[in-house]
Amino acid sequence: MGADSAAISEARSPAAETSGTTHSYNVRICHWINLVSCAYLLWSGVHIFLDFPELYWGHTGYRGYPAAFRLADWGLSWEQAGALGDRRWGRNYHFTFAWVFLINGLVYVVWNLYSTHFRNQMLPARDEWTVARLLAELRDHLRWRSRRQAPGGHYGALQKTSYLVLIFVFVPLMILTGIAQSPGLTAAMPVLLDVFGGRQSARTLHTIGTVALMLFVVVHVLEVAAAGFFVKVRSMITGK
Amino acid sequence: MNMSTRISRRTWLSSLPALGGLLLTGCTRERFVPPVVRGGLIGAADVLTMSTNRLLLSGQQLAREYNRSDIADPFPTWNQTNPRSAEYQRHASEGFKNWRLPISGHVARPRELSLDEIRRLPARTQITAHICEQGWSAIGEWTGVPLQRVLEEAGGVTPAARYVVIDTFDGWYEGYDLFEVAHAQTILAYGLNGRDLPRGNGAPLRLRVERQCGYKNVKFLKSIRVVESMAGIGRGTGGINSDFGFHWFAGV
Repeated sequence: MGADSAAISEARSPAAETSGTTHSYNVRICHWINLVSCAYLLWSGVHIFLDFPELYWGHTGYRGYPAAFRLADWGLSWEQAGALGDRRWGRNYHFTFAWVFLINGLVYVVWNLYSTHFRNQMLPARDEWTVARLLAELRDHLRWRSRRQAPGGHYGALQKTSYLVLIFVFVPLMILTGIAQSPGLTAAMPVLLDVFGGRQSARTLHTIGTVALMLFVVVHVLEVAAAGFFVKVRSMITGK
Repeated sequence: MNMSTRISRRTWLSSLPALGGLLLTGCTRERFVPPVVRGGLIGAADVLTMSTNRLLLSGQQLAREYNRSDIADPFPTWNQTNPRSAEYQRHASEGFKNWRLPISGHVARPRELSLDEIRRLPARTQITAHICEQGWSAIGEWTGVPLQRVLEEAGGVTPAARYVVIDTFDGWYEGYDLFEVAHAQTILAYGLNGRDLPRGNGAPLRLRVERQCGYKNVKFLKSIRVVESMAGIGRGTGGINSDFGFHWFAGV
């Protein structure tokens, strides 16, 4: 009896570990291309913002118009910010890596919708998606015990939920608030101006989204550190 | 390692955008690809951006037109607000009475138009957003004549024509492909918010290209040239902004 159950768990555990801890070629390549694109998008976006360091709400906003956010209120004057930001460099690289990010993201999503990655590893099971379970996981995360609810190297329900929201809600919103600032694309798709309440609102939401994304990355890296930084980074590079 | 037969990755990468451009030579290349495609990833992105924009705008859709209540008055001024050239100052002091707009190059009947002649042509008024590439935007009511209509006053463009080049009194020049020129909202504006175009906003005449960023909406018009190629004009990239490393196609 005891020997039997040991044999079963031995037979199961390698499979469970393989499916949970290894990453496919697609996931690994997309992950690192994504990291490079996001780094460029962030840095070039900061340059674009510094060149005009005010945010507004609605369809219009210009120097002298009531602002929702002014960097000058936080100690960096218009001239100081302008001296730091290079919008020519920023625009060139922002729109280049927006394409890299978009194409890489589409390859990742289409590939993993086709393969079983999303279905098997990222879609929470019905019994995982309960308030009690998510709260318990959240408590574990806050106590720095991220793996207790997810034996065998599988993603936790909270982790799955955050990845899905990031990929299918948050990133599309970042892309849409980005192109809602484009004079050409808003002429082609004027609905973009309406859903975000105007071009300047879209720019403000795009900036707020950037801050939120940076917070996600901070939590993501902390979680990786909690789970064993070098093991996890190695597994995202080598797949082992 | 025979260097003559081995194509380096850099060469291969930087030729990608040109390859994309080559595929489009069959149809109207200049509608989808900038006059000069930059090398590397940036050039590839330029081609993707312009092609995507132009495919999505193939119906020549209008940019959003707003209500009078959205208008910014006074309209913000930016960059050059009073060109120093003696010629411009003389015209301004004369109320632009002796200012003429020469239309030359690949048109059937090259000619000059006075401000009064331009004002007598069928006008279009549009309340649109001026979208600066820096991030600000302001809504104004622009009154002017479609650029296409102005070119028709010179007999229209000839079959060799590919770009319309606009020179300005502050030493700028910008090139526009004929698809942009043909758009209903591409106008030469002499009025802003119901009054004559103020000097700070580009008097006597400025271009409105509502589907591109502010820097393509050039002010203080001096002349119009219709050309077959942008080569040999400025640094040859198609406009002063792209000469300085900004996007030639400023639809984003």
